[in-house]
Order: sequence, then structure tokens, then C-alpha cells
Amino acid sequence: MIQLILSLFVGLVLVVSLYFFARRAKPSAEGSAQQLREARQTLDSLQYGLLPNDLVERIFAREDLEYVFSAAPPDVQSLFLADRKNVALGWVRRVRAAVLELMRFHRGHARLHARLSFSTEIRLALNFAGLLTACRLLQITFYLRGPYAAPGMVRTAAAAASRVCSISENSLAFLNVKGVDPLNSGAARHRA
Amino acid sequence: MEILSQVVAYAGLLIEAVILVRAIQCKTFSRYSIFYTYLLTVLVTSVFLEIASRMVTPPVYALLYWRLQLVTLALGCGVIVEISTHIFARHVSLDRFVRWVAIITFGAIFLAFAIHVAFLPHWKPVANAAELERDLRIAQATALLSIVFLTGYYGIEIGKNMKGLILGFGVYVGVSIISLTLRIFVGIQFSPIWKLIGPFSYTAALLIWTVALWSYEPAPASPPEPTDVDYRGLAGRTRQALGSIQEQLDRTPDR
Repeated sequence: MIQLILSLFVGLVLVVSLYFFARRAKPSAEGSAQQLREARQTLDSLQYGLLPNDLVERIFAREDLEYVFSAAPPDVQSLFLADRKNVALGWVRRVRAAVLELMRFHRGHARLHARLSFSTEIRLALNFAGLLTACRLLQITFYLRGPYAAPGMVRTAAAAASRVCSISENSLAFLNVKGVDPLNSGAARHRA
Repeated sequence: MEILSQVVAYAGLLIEAVILVRAIQCKTFSRYSIFYTYLLTVLVTSVFLEIASRMVTPPVYALLYWRLQLVTLALGCGVIVEISTHIFARHVSLDRFVRWVAIITFGAIFLAFAIHVAFLPHWKPVANAAELERDLRIAQATALLSIVFLTGYYGIEIGKNMKGLILGFGVYVGVSIISLTLRIFVGIQFSPIWKLIGPFSYTAALLIWTVALWSYEPAPASPPEPTDVDYRGLAGRTRQALGSIQEQLDRTPDR
């Protein structure tokens, strides 16, 4: 019976994949100068626009919660929690969108290189997936239990992000050019 | 039902001949040599089996059918390798990955086959040819799926010829897996439907190939490989952005 289910599953997955394959839109020319410029702008907006530090600190500031709970009447307390919940949900949504953009950007550029490290690419894909899942779980938790309810899960998401960072770093090791600072060289070209 | 199946099979032979003639006319035979060899082999074996069906007994015909089917199946695996080589011509690592997937899945299937033959004296390969074909089709499906997934994941552009080859071959392999599985599990009652589904799905694949391979279309030009410094700079910024995300996520737990 397992063989039956497995075989039918493979056949159906192939047929469904082919349906989406046939409908797939033409991919954008990722290597063009315009695309590279747009990618850099996206990264800039990720770093400086979508994730400002003080905004995050404000959203999750426990002192706000303590102040409202000590000084305000119950209806204001619930209003505060509902409002903060919406803000936290919006923040996770934006982080998730940022990770997705980063993933798209990485794939778009990785494909231009003939020799990829496959183990690195697989680990990177798994870590991106882990990070996206963690963001989704955070969204669900914030939705169900409020903005102050998911410290453990946020730590998991942070660990996944950390792994992505270290693997990205490893994947660049074979491309190292002596005396060139990756970040400055990119920024310098962007400014030019 | 029998007549319909015959008509579809003859139509298939005609379309195969049309594709091969067109390949010679357009001088594309050498460009997709494994695929056209596969098609030529299928055409020759089909004609041979058609003649044999009138001259030999049903058990001998069944033996001939499954043996020749395994030959074309092996050539079909070559077609997948050819597809991968063309699509990932500028992506050596991805091509190598698909080959490894194919080698591992085929290896696992042949290992299981060898174990059956060696340790199960009552298990006869000819008696279980449908099972073997289904398993090999699953290996082909796995390799095709890895090609489809990788081209989608990395957004690799595929030309009309290759897209048609994948679609046609995929439709045939997918339908074959489903129908062979049902034939093995449902039994003899499914045979009439199986005899119809096989030629129909193959004819559908042939029609897709006819349209896709009518004229040669070179593979889409890929942008030049960026310099190491470019890549390093951009990836460095990616890393920095990811670092920002991590930093933000790190901050939240203690709040």
C-alpha cells in the first residue's frame, strides 16, 4: 500500500509540477545593470528603511506595557495591547518580506555563477526556509497571544538568521579578492 | 476500445516519422542526438513489435515487448541527461547535481533489483517487468523534477525546444507511473484502460515535441558571469542586511 501511495504521489507531483512549469513566466534578466541597481536599492531599503533599530525597540518595549498596566484603566490596557499587537504583526510581516527579497536576490545572483557550492546552497535554502517559517510562527503567536508572548520563538528565528549569515559568508570565501572590502566596494559603486 | 488504441498507436508512428523527417530537414538531429536516437529506436521497435504481434504467440510477444521497453527506457534516461546538459550548459554545478540525483535514484533501483534477483529465487524479472518499468519511470520522474525545480528556483530561462522536451517527456513519464501503478495494484481489470492510456499519453507527448521541435531555437543568451568583485560586493551587502534582521530579532526576546 505504501508503494502504491508513493508511486501515485510521484506521478501526480510530476504532472502538477509540469502544469506550473508550462505556465511559468519568463524570468527577469537578473544580470542586467538595471537589475543590479534595483537589487542594491532593495538591499539599502532593507537595511536602512525597513528595519530601523529604534522602531523595533519601541514595538517590544516591556516598560510601555508595565506603565500602561500600572497607570491606565482596563479599557485603555486592552486598547494598548490590541494596538501593539497590530504593530508587532506589521513588523513581522515586513521582516518576512525582507527575508523573501533577500532570498530572491541571492538566487538571482547565484544563478549567474557557473560553479556553485551545492552543499552551501542547500544549507542556505534550508536556513532561509527556517527563517521564513519562524517569522510565520511569530505572526501566528502574536496574533493569538499578543506581542509579548514569543521570546523563545524569536530566539529560534534569530538562530536561523545567524546560520544564514555564516553560510553566506562561507559561500563567499572562494571568491575572495585580496584587498577588496566587499561592503565598501558595493557601496562605492552604488554611489557612483 | 481495441480499434481506438490501434488508431492512436498508428498516429503515433506517423508523428514520430514527421518529427524525425523534420529533424533531418532542419539539421537538428545532431543538436539533440540522444533524443532523436531515442525516438528512432521507439519507431523501429514499434514497427518490429507490430509485425511480431502477427507472427508470434502472446507470451513470446510479451517477452519481446518488455525487453524492448527496457531498452527504450534506458535511452529515455539518456534524454534526461541531454536535457540537463543543454539547460545547465552554463551552470556546471546544477548539471552535476541533476546527474547525481539520477545516479543515486537509478543506483537505488538497480540495487533493489539485484537484491531481488539474488535473494528471492521465485522472483522473476520478466514476470515483474511492469514493476521494474514503474520503478525506472520513478527514477526518470525524480531527475525531471529536480530539473524543473532547479530551473524554477534559480529562475533559469529555458528555450522552446527544451521546454517542449521536458513537457512531453514529463507528461509521458507521469502518466506512465500512474497507469503502471494502477495496473500492478488493480490487476487484470485495469489492463484495457492501461492499453489505451499508454498510447494516448505517448501521442500527447509526440504532439508536444512536434510543436516544440518544429524549428530550432537556440538556448536563450545568459548574461555574462559577473566578476568576482561584483559578486563579493553584492553578497557582502546581502550578508549585512541579514545581519540587520538577526540583530532586530535578537533584540525582541528580552523585551
